[in-house]
Amino acid sequence: MRRDAATRSPWILHFDTGSCNGCDLEVWALLTPRYDVERFGMVNKANPKHADILLITGPVTRKAEERLVNLYNQTPEPKLVIACGDCASNGVPFFDCYNVCGGVDKVIPVDMYVPGCSCRPEAIMDAVVKGIELWKRKAQEERS
Amino acid sequence: MTDIMTALALTVLGPLSVGLLLGVDRKLTARMQNRVGPPILQPFYDLIKLFGKERRADNQAQISYAAACLLLQMVAFIIFATGGDLLVAFFVSGAGNLALALGAFSSRSAFGQIGGQRELLQVLAYEPVLFLVIFMLGWWNGSFLSDSYSDNLLGVMILVLVAMMPVVLIVMQKSPFDIATAHQEIVSGVYVEYSGTYLGILELAHWFELAFIFAVMTLFYNDDDVVLSIAIKVAIVLAFVFFAILIDNSSARLTRWDMIKLTLLIGIGLVSVNMAAIWLHTEGVF
Ligand code: SF4
Repeated sequence: MRRDAATRSPWILHFDTGSCNGCDLEVWALLTPRYDVERFGMVNKANPKHADILLITGPVTRKAEERLVNLYNQTPEPKLVIACGDCASNGVPFFDCYNVCGGVDKVIPVDMYVPGCSCRPEAIMDAVVKGIELWKRKAQEERS
Repeated sequence: MTDIMTALALTVLGPLSVGLLLGVDRKLTARMQNRVGPPILQPFYDLIKLFGKERRADNQAQISYAAACLLLQMVAFIIFATGGDLLVAFFVSGAGNLALALGAFSSRSAFGQIGGQRELLQVLAYEPVLFLVIFMLGWWNGSFLSDSYSDNLLGVMILVLVAMMPVVLIVMQKSPFDIATAHQEIVSGVYVEYSGTYLGILELAHWFELAFIFAVMTLFYNDDDVVLSIAIKVAIVLAFVFFAILIDNSSARLTRWDMIKLTLLIGIGLVSVNMAAIWLHTEGVF
């Protein structure tokens, strides 16, 4: 029951590691009446200590690197990291910039990648709903 | 004293019905914003999830304060449920709020500090009003024991009941009075440094606190017919929750000083007018 309840209540932290704001807008669109992710129990908590799922947008700039690691470490287990958009997935089109680390997975472990520039809200929602399965497994592994 | 089974049932049913009420609150809020909204049982899912998460705290003091907060709020509600003294329950619940503020102060986080200070300001704003309401109940009834109420007080003390509105808004963390937990400003203030199980403990404490506040409001109607009595008690609570949601969705957050001024003005004002009306009536003026 515990696991089942957990998957019905994914709380989100959205962090912009240097995105052009295109993907950010799509993440915010999730909260609007049109997509209304609260029907899956998702709430944007803006606090890593309360979050279960990290939605990261943008290529990780050197400035944001330390902060991203910090936020990741502050999020209690079980947690899930979703890289939203092409930039967050592999750094394009900024992958060889001098001030960019590349994709999010260069800095912290990523569980899911959402493609698109910018990524569609439907795709993010799909990733979160699929990610919940993964999260369930993580929670199970942790207990055993 | 109430018999032990009723007290036990009340102690369990109190927070459970608050959880359900918060679910209805979220659904109604969503509907008012033209959204579908989460299932009614969402607050329970959230709570169970929090208890299943990793246990992590900034320091030991934080854990003790969270536990103290839950314990005090629970005791306050149990005092009510067992037919105990309303004033004692009121002070114990107030001590629970203090523990919540101390828990926020125990971490070095700036948001936590601001949240703690705002929590204390909220207590300063609504506790005098709640105290006056309880005082009026006891004065009219001749006793503060929660199981000694048997009259219908809606007629004589309707304004005293209405004075509870700002109190309900503050305790339910609703706009315009969601000062200590302001999500956009200070990312849930008092709760900011808590996570997982300890956040769950505080959430449960909040349910017990709300249960006590709603329980005080149910004392305003009593009838020999038990079914009618329960129906009207529930209707009073539901009406307050509905108006809280309506106000929440149609107003912006006030500053903390406005909150104190408005709450005290409305609360003390309404209670005084009601008191004056009762006095004039007993003097035979009308
Ligand atoms: S993927 Fe495209 S829209 Fe998203 S942050 Fe990168 S450039 Fe902007």
